[in-house]
Amino acid sequence: MAEIVLKDVVKNYGSIYAVNNVSFTVEDGEFVALVGPSGCGKTTTLNLIAGLIPMSGGDIAIGDRIVNELDPKDRDIAMVFQNYALYPQKSVFNNLAFPLQMRKLTKDEIERKVKDAAKLLDITHLLERKPRELSGGQQQRVALGRALVRDPAVFLMDEPLSNLDAKLRVQMRSEIKRFHHNLNATVVYVTHDQLEAVTMADKMAVMHGGLLQQYDSPANVFANPVNTFVASFVGSPAMSLIPLDVKGKGTGVVLQSSEGWELPLSDENARKANRSTNGKVVLGARHSTLKIHKTAAPGTVPAKVYTVEPTGDVTFVQVFINGAVVNVSLDPGTPIAPDEEVFVEFDQARLHIFDDATTMALQAA
Amino acid sequence: MSTIELPSGAKRPVVKKSVDWWRWAGRATLTFLFLFTMLPMAWMILTSVKSQFAAMQYPPQWWPTQPTLNNYFKLLDPGSKIGRDFLLYFWNSFYVSLLTTILGVVVAVPAAYAFSRFRFPGRNFLFFAVLVRNMFPAVVFLMPLFLLMRWMGLINTHGSLILTYLTFGLPLSIWLLKGFYDNIPIQLEQAARIDGATRFQAFLLIVMPLSTPGIIATSIFSFIGAWNEYVYAYTFLSRDSQMTLPVGIQRFFTEFATDWPGLMSATFLMSVPVVVLFLVLQKYFVRALTEGAVKH
Repeated sequence: MAEIVLKDVVKNYGSIYAVNNVSFTVEDGEFVALVGPSGCGKTTTLNLIAGLIPMSGGDIAIGDRIVNELDPKDRDIAMVFQNYALYPQKSVFNNLAFPLQMRKLTKDEIERKVKDAAKLLDITHLLERKPRELSGGQQQRVALGRALVRDPAVFLMDEPLSNLDAKLRVQMRSEIKRFHHNLNATVVYVTHDQLEAVTMADKMAVMHGGLLQQYDSPANVFANPVNTFVASFVGSPAMSLIPLDVKGKGTGVVLQSSEGWELPLSDENARKANRSTNGKVVLGARHSTLKIHKTAAPGTVPAKVYTVEPTGDVTFVQVFINGAVVNVSLDPGTPIAPDEEVFVEFDQARLHIFDDATTMALQAA
Repeated sequence: MSTIELPSGAKRPVVKKSVDWWRWAGRATLTFLFLFTMLPMAWMILTSVKSQFAAMQYPPQWWPTQPTLNNYFKLLDPGSKIGRDFLLYFWNSFYVSLLTTILGVVVAVPAAYAFSRFRFPGRNFLFFAVLVRNMFPAVVFLMPLFLLMRWMGLINTHGSLILTYLTFGLPLSIWLLKGFYDNIPIQLEQAARIDGATRFQAFLLIVMPLSTPGIIATSIFSFIGAWNEYVYAYTFLSRDSQMTLPVGIQRFFTEFATDWPGLMSATFLMSVPVVVLFLVLQKYFVRALTEGAVKH
């Protein structure tokens, strides 16, 4: 096991920067999720750690070695691929044995280690089969087995669950989490699914446009997103964002909409809004912090219901506020219908205020 | 039993089945093509078991009344001059075709792999250039290649033929194999490299076995191409002892008068290796040509 350090890592193709000055540390035994939309540079970052593509700049250390120049085979890593990349012509046994054969272990050792790994993952009965004779979940297990069979310092996983159906994905998600817990392994896990990142990782690295946006525990990323991108990417449904103007001075600050209504702010929020660079802010609120009223009350703003989505446990309602779509969660059975005029109340303590120009979260100095 | 009732008075519209003309047109075309290719073959085999006299009869004898295998015995008898020559030509052809095939694979496999996997300056231009070669008929290159071979001192050697056949065979081989490598996920090699293989080992142990059908298909193509080639062999070689089968047969049987049954039995024997090759390896061949069509 080992820690991984990325320092000012750059990968560019001409003027296009796939990974731009990314730095973070994965502690020994930590599970880190690299998350972001497609094209954000997360898989490129993983491939750089694996050594599958050359870096343009920066340093990567695994354990006590700087691995910049090392071949993938010399980095003491294992990787699980999105399409599993099982060797189609080899049986499951030989797929698991391949990394050991490459390291010139004796036949007995190989046999013992493969059997141990197979037992751990409950695939002993599949050892003689070819990959194409396995279901998606079984292939996934074999891919995991091939990664853990030789006890590497670091596990790299590239969207390992995205080829599975929804039910299996949830099951394998907990299995991978358990696997990390049992082995106390250092894992770097790439996913575009923020839910996977939030549920599995000790820390998440949110990437966008080749840049690392935020690197923190899922709870902190969820509670204190650094900018509107992270705010709208993490959480399901996403945080709702409403652009508004800042009016007034001192403690009398209000947010004014283009529809004419005004929202008074708490002292702390007023101080945040005052720091806006261009007199405009983006208001962020999570669905669970919003309340819907049928009649106007102080501190509420008018909204119009767009859709109602019952999910069983909770009903999600999308409303329009000042032209922005806002998600609100309600108890199931709350009577509400599309096109209804309602009033939304914000929880001032759990509001997020972002600068309109820089998109960064504003702090009350 | 369900209690669902269909709407009362619901009608079942009659769906008229029309004759599928396209299907019949397809069958007719296939039948025509089958006869078109098979009839000459049948005629070849029928003639090869006739006597010289029966072959020349008019009106023609469609079905041999006194079939004989004498022509074959003559050709395969190393004791006679005709047998010795035929077997020598057969060996020459086999040896030239085999070397062409082996060298072709040795060159085409790494070339195709490089075109498929690496991004290097001039990659598109080179690949295009490789394909453009196929746009010109082989005869266009006859004079330039003859001069080139003479300059290299290769006229009257089998080396001149092998080089020429490689020139014509490689573009197709590289193109076919590239398609094959394009279809092998790069993650397999990446996995192998992470599992402890060098780049070359990843290619040798993982990618090569997966491309076997492609290699077999391209081998068949280059073997047949070399086996059947006539014009270049006729131009570059002048010694009797060096002749390949197509040229040898033609010269041999038409020197004084055309011995049709002898010519036909030699032709039939010449087609045997190709047919056997095809029958044995056809499943790889079909796989190679259809592989790209199906998404995995």
